[in-house]
Amino acid sequence: MKQKVQQAVSPIFLRIEQLDEAKYGFLLVSPVFLVLSVLAFYPLVRTLYFSLQDDDLTGMHPIGEFVGLENYVQILSGDANAILTSPFFDLQAPFSSALIVTLLITGVSVAIGTLMGLGMAIILNKEFKGRRYARTIVILPWSIPIVIQGMMFFLLFQPSLSPFVEPLANLGVFSDNPLINSQDSTIIVILIDIWRKIPFIALIIMAGIASIDRNLYDVAEVAGATKWQQFRLITLPQIKPVLFIGMIFYTISSMKIYGIVEASAGCSTVPTLTCLVVQTFRQQRWATASAIAFITALVIAVIIMVYVVRYRESTNE
Amino acid sequence: MSDQEYSGLTGRIVKYTIHNSADVYRLGFWVGLVSFIMITLFPFYWLLVLAVTPDNQLYQMGFVPENFNIGVFATVVQEYPLHHYIFNSILIATITVIVCITLGSLAGYAFGRVDFPGKGPLLVLLLVISYFPGIAFLIPLFELLTGSLSILGTPTPDLYNTPWGMVFPFTMLSLPITIFILTTFYSQIPDGLEDAARVEGTTRLGALFRVIMPLSAPGVVTAAIIVFIGVYREFFFSFIMTDGSPENWAVLVYGILNFQQQHTQMYNMMAAASLIGIIPIAVLVIIAQEHIVRGLTAGGLKE
Repeated sequence: MKQKVQQAVSPIFLRIEQLDEAKYGFLLVSPVFLVLSVLAFYPLVRTLYFSLQDDDLTGMHPIGEFVGLENYVQILSGDANAILTSPFFDLQAPFSSALIVTLLITGVSVAIGTLMGLGMAIILNKEFKGRRYARTIVILPWSIPIVIQGMMFFLLFQPSLSPFVEPLANLGVFSDNPLINSQDSTIIVILIDIWRKIPFIALIIMAGIASIDRNLYDVAEVAGATKWQQFRLITLPQIKPVLFIGMIFYTISSMKIYGIVEASAGCSTVPTLTCLVVQTFRQQRWATASAIAFITALVIAVIIMVYVVRYRESTNE
Repeated sequence: MSDQEYSGLTGRIVKYTIHNSADVYRLGFWVGLVSFIMITLFPFYWLLVLAVTPDNQLYQMGFVPENFNIGVFATVVQEYPLHHYIFNSILIATITVIVCITLGSLAGYAFGRVDFPGKGPLLVLLLVISYFPGIAFLIPLFELLTGSLSILGTPTPDLYNTPWGMVFPFTMLSLPITIFILTTFYSQIPDGLEDAARVEGTTRLGALFRVIMPLSAPGVVTAAIIVFIGVYREFFFSFIMTDGSPENWAVLVYGILNFQQQHTQMYNMMAAASLIGIIPIAVLVIIAQEHIVRGLTAGGLKE
C-alpha cells in the first residue's frame, strides 16, 4: 500500500523538483491565494457590487436594481438617516450618530492608550525581579475574549451592584444608570478600549526600545544628560517608526469597534459604524449596509493617509 | 543658590528631588508599575467578588465579598452548559489553527526563502485583507456560507450552525498574520543548512519538511498560539454565524451573552461564566508569554 502511494506521488515530486525558483514560489503560495480569493477577495468585490444596487425589501433576494453611487450620496447627505436605526452623521445628536461616536472613541482611546502604553513599555523594559510575572499579568486584558472584556465593564457599571456609580453620579460625572445613557456609555466604551489595548501598544513599543543601541545611553550618561533628556533625545526619536505602526494598528482596530459595545451598553446606546452595518444588514437592507461598510473602509484609509503624511513630514525635518 | 530658596514643605520636596533624583526616579518606577498592575487586575478582581457573592446579596456591594459561595462555578457548568460552549470554542479554534498553519507554512516559506517575481505586491495584498473591517466581508460570506448563493445552478452548502460556518471566516481573518509571523521566522534560518540538506540528496520538499520546518518550530508554535487566541477571543463572526444554542456549535460569545439576554439579573452567574471562560487563555498566556510577545511584535512590525 505504502509503496503504491509512493509510486503514485513520486512523478509529482519529480515535477516539483524540476520547477525553476519562480514557479516553485508560485506553487507554494497558490493554495493560500486560492482560499483567500474565495473567502476574502470575492466577498470584497461583491460587497462593492451590492453597495451600488438598490435595497429590495419585498423580493426573493434583498438586492434590487443598479443605482450607481445613489446609496453613498443618500448616506453622506443624511437622506438615509430616516431608514437607519441611528443617523450616520448628525451634528444635532453627536452621541447617536455612528460616524461621530466612532471617531470620538478612536481619537480619545488612541491618544490616551498610546501615552499609557508608552509608560508601560518604559517600565516593563527595566530589569527588575518578577518582570516576567508583571509582563504575563499585563498581557491578560488584550488576550481574553472580547465578549468578556465587555461583560466585565457591564458588571462594573451596573447601578444596582457597583460601588462606583453612585459616587460618580453625585460628582456629576455620570448619570444614575450610565449604561443606558449614550454619553456615559461612550465614555465606558472608551475606558474598555484603552484598558484592553495598552498591552498591545506597549508590547510593540517595547520591541522598538529593545532594538535601540545601548551605547547611545552610555554616551549620554557621560555627557551628563538627565533621564528626561535621554528619553526625549534618544528613546523617542528611535522608537518613532514603531510607534507610528503601532498607532496605525490601534486606530484601525478601534474604528472597527463592535464586540465590546454589544456586550456592554449595546448598539442602540453606542451606535458605532460596525453596529450600524450589522443593524442595517438585519433589516434586510443589504445594499445600504454594504455602502456603509465601504464608507467605513474609506474613512479608515483617509486616517491612515493623514498618519503617513504627518510621519513623512516629521522625519524630513 | 542658597538654602533659603528651598524653605517650606514644597521647597524641601524640590530640594530633595534635585539632590536625590535617582531615588525619586525609582519611586516613580514602582508607583507606575504598581498602578499598571492594579488597573489591569481590578476588573478581574471585581468578577471574582461578584461571582462568589450569593445572589440574594447582589445589591450595593462593597469591594470585599461578605459571603463566599464557591458553588456558583459548579452551577454554571451543571445547570447551564457553559463547558459545551467552551468546548465548541476550543474545537473551532483548533481546526482553524491546523488549516492556517498548513496553508500558511507553504506560503511563509515561499515569502521568506524563495525568490519569485511579484512577492512584494502579494504581501501587500495580504496586508490589504487585514486592513478591511470584518463588516466589508460579512454579507457575501453570510450568503456564501448559508446556502443562499448558487454557482452554476447548485446551491452552496448551508453551513449556518455548523463549525465550518465559523472556521472559514476565521481562516480568512487569521491567514495574513500567520503568514507574516512564519515569513519572519523562515527568513531567519541560515541558508547553509538548507543547502547542506540539498547536497545530501534531499528533495526540495523534503528539505522543507525535514530541515526547515523543524528548525522553525518556535515560529510555528508562535503562529499557532496567536491564531488560537485570536479565534478564541473573536466576537463578530462568532456572533453572526450561529443561532446561539450550544448544540448548534455556538461558541463562548453566546455562553456569556445568554446570561445577559435571558437571565438578566444573574450577575453572579455572568461573572462566574466569564472567569471560567478566561481560564483556557490565562493558562496559555502563563505558559507561552514569550511566544505571544514575539508573535505580536513579529506580526505587527513586519511592514
